[in-house]
Amino acid sequence: MVEIAFIAPLLTGIIAFFLGGRSSRPLLTITGALHLLISVLIWSFRPGAAFPDYFGITPEGLLSLLVISLLFFMISIYTTAYLAKTEIHSERIFTGCMLLFLATMTMVTLSDHIMVMWIAIEATTLASAPLIYTHRSAASLEATWKYVLICSVGIALALLGSVLITLAMDVGGVYAPVSFSSLTDVAEKLDPFWLKTGFVFILVGYGTKMGLAPMHTWLPDAHSEAPSPASALLSGVLLNCAYLGIFKTNKIMQAAGLGDFSGMVLIFFGLASMLAAATFILKQTEYKRLLAYSSIENMGIIAFGTGVGGIGAYGAMLCLIHHSLIKSSLFLSSGNILLGYASRLIDGTGKMARLMPKTFVAFFGGFAGISGFPPFGIFLGELFIVIGAFRAHHYIGVGLFILSICAIFAGFANHIMKISFGDSGVAVKFEENATMVWPQYALLLTSVVLCFWMPETVSQAVMNAVNSMGGGF
Amino acid sequence: MIHTVDTILALVLLSVLFSFGSSRLPALIKVIAFQGVVVSVVPFFMGHTMSAGGVAFTIATLLIRGIGIPLCIYLAIKKVAIRREVEPIVGYHASLLAGLVLIVAAIFVAPKFNLPQTSGHVLLLPTAITLLVAGMFILMARRNAIAMVLGYIMMENGIYLVGTSFSLRAHHIVEFGILLDVLAGVMIMAIILQNIKQAFDDVDTALLRTLKE
Repeated sequence: MVEIAFIAPLLTGIIAFFLGGRSSRPLLTITGALHLLISVLIWSFRPGAAFPDYFGITPEGLLSLLVISLLFFMISIYTTAYLAKTEIHSERIFTGCMLLFLATMTMVTLSDHIMVMWIAIEATTLASAPLIYTHRSAASLEATWKYVLICSVGIALALLGSVLITLAMDVGGVYAPVSFSSLTDVAEKLDPFWLKTGFVFILVGYGTKMGLAPMHTWLPDAHSEAPSPASALLSGVLLNCAYLGIFKTNKIMQAAGLGDFSGMVLIFFGLASMLAAATFILKQTEYKRLLAYSSIENMGIIAFGTGVGGIGAYGAMLCLIHHSLIKSSLFLSSGNILLGYASRLIDGTGKMARLMPKTFVAFFGGFAGISGFPPFGIFLGELFIVIGAFRAHHYIGVGLFILSICAIFAGFANHIMKISFGDSGVAVKFEENATMVWPQYALLLTSVVLCFWMPETVSQAVMNAVNSMGGGF
Repeated sequence: MIHTVDTILALVLLSVLFSFGSSRLPALIKVIAFQGVVVSVVPFFMGHTMSAGGVAFTIATLLIRGIGIPLCIYLAIKKVAIRREVEPIVGYHASLLAGLVLIVAAIFVAPKFNLPQTSGHVLLLPTAITLLVAGMFILMARRNAIAMVLGYIMMENGIYLVGTSFSLRAHHIVEFGILLDVLAGVMIMAIILQNIKQAFDDVDTALLRTLKE
């Protein structure tokens, strides 16, 4: 009965649409808590699915499910305080879409059928589009338009890729259910030409959604125009969901003995994303776009690590988990900054260390984490990926990898210093109440704790996920 | 021997050329509706034995692809009262030439794939490829936001045509889910179109240029 995990938020989401005014606010936190409970129960009891043809539990799905639940719970707590401080045009649509968004993302983590996966990922686009348009400005309209059109076209290519994989079954004369698990079992019999073509289309399609360059153009616009809690969800979990689609297809490729081909393609897109992010971060003028480009960089790192394989795949998995925790905390802090300075521009901020000390601690801590300082998990992840790339003799690739990480760190640090300690003539009218700060602290703390002590069952799930795509120590 | 399928698919190929040369949005919507109808009825003529569920599903597809989606866009146009040109980036004559080259290339390339499923239906794969690429072409070569949505739908029709020829048939529930997703996507796009029209007083995507690096 794993389906309950996405049916529950689906129902509360529909209810939220019919509630007037502010009465829908508590629904967010209640559903968040309920969803977290369901996830923990699924994690500990591993129940079967009511429709095993379409849904199932996999280690990578379970990991993502737990991350989604935890993030959504924290974000929902922040959102209640955030909504009290901002004017939002139609609150019930915002709340309803947040919950539907949660439902569709949960569906992605649990789906095992190739086409159901596609349906769920396309549904995440549709559920999150109204969130980006929350502020009803011309710029947010443009961002929503780009988001829906670019992602729909991208995901249509992923649909073609999925159809081509079923074609690989037909041509190879395989008669099995069209699910990722059964396809991985029979992968060797699939027609390699159509499997490769399908993989490339799926990578380009879901890669659009994941924010891989050169299909990333919607990402900075959408992340900067959406209200901060929605940006945190987009960056923290939506990108992971798209990655899950690529991960599972890569698993089929590995099982079919085409891991070298899929690895090369992943490394190419990964490096392209990192280089693109490095170029744009250096001359960035808005802090939310800065964070968005950092997400593109991290998705590039994850794709690169997955492509490298071996210990690099383990590093990619670590980066995936820690990026979600840290980046969503950063986006929540950016919401505070926007409320305080009423400007999206880096030049419009300054002296944050003195004016907003609590947010400063969260923001600076998040910066340290995302740029790969040792106490946080991204450091370990990147280290493993570099080691893995050296072991696999990708010397040029690893050179570009390290170069772009350095450039991004330099650019990022420069902007963060300006925000934290630069001059500012603005009077900040923002009271830092506890509910708008401690969710960020909690997320960062989780990341630090996971680095030193990972519960046995979690580390086992990470290892299983990595092994299933041919990685490991 | 010429199959019924090939005859109607030939009309689809012609309709692609027509859409490339057409400057009016309502004409483009009619083309999309026609293509939607044809790609949904193709399974009837493929010669497979169809179950009752299969027939019901094909009719549902016909209703959504042939009527629902085009109607959605038509209402969006009507509401924002635009009867304007599609504002081409690539001119109509150049578009027509590109369309001809595309069709010839698709017919040339398709047999090289050697697919057993399409044997007997010479035009099935070429039409699918043409619809896919033509949809992308319209997306890139027209500045009008409505024309871009129509390009997306044309692309979807092409993918559906690829899908109908292969083993997907066994999973009607799944295919219905895909269809609903596409329908919901088009509806959301229609809503955004109306908002764009309200905010900018036009649906020319050249106006959507404030967010860039």
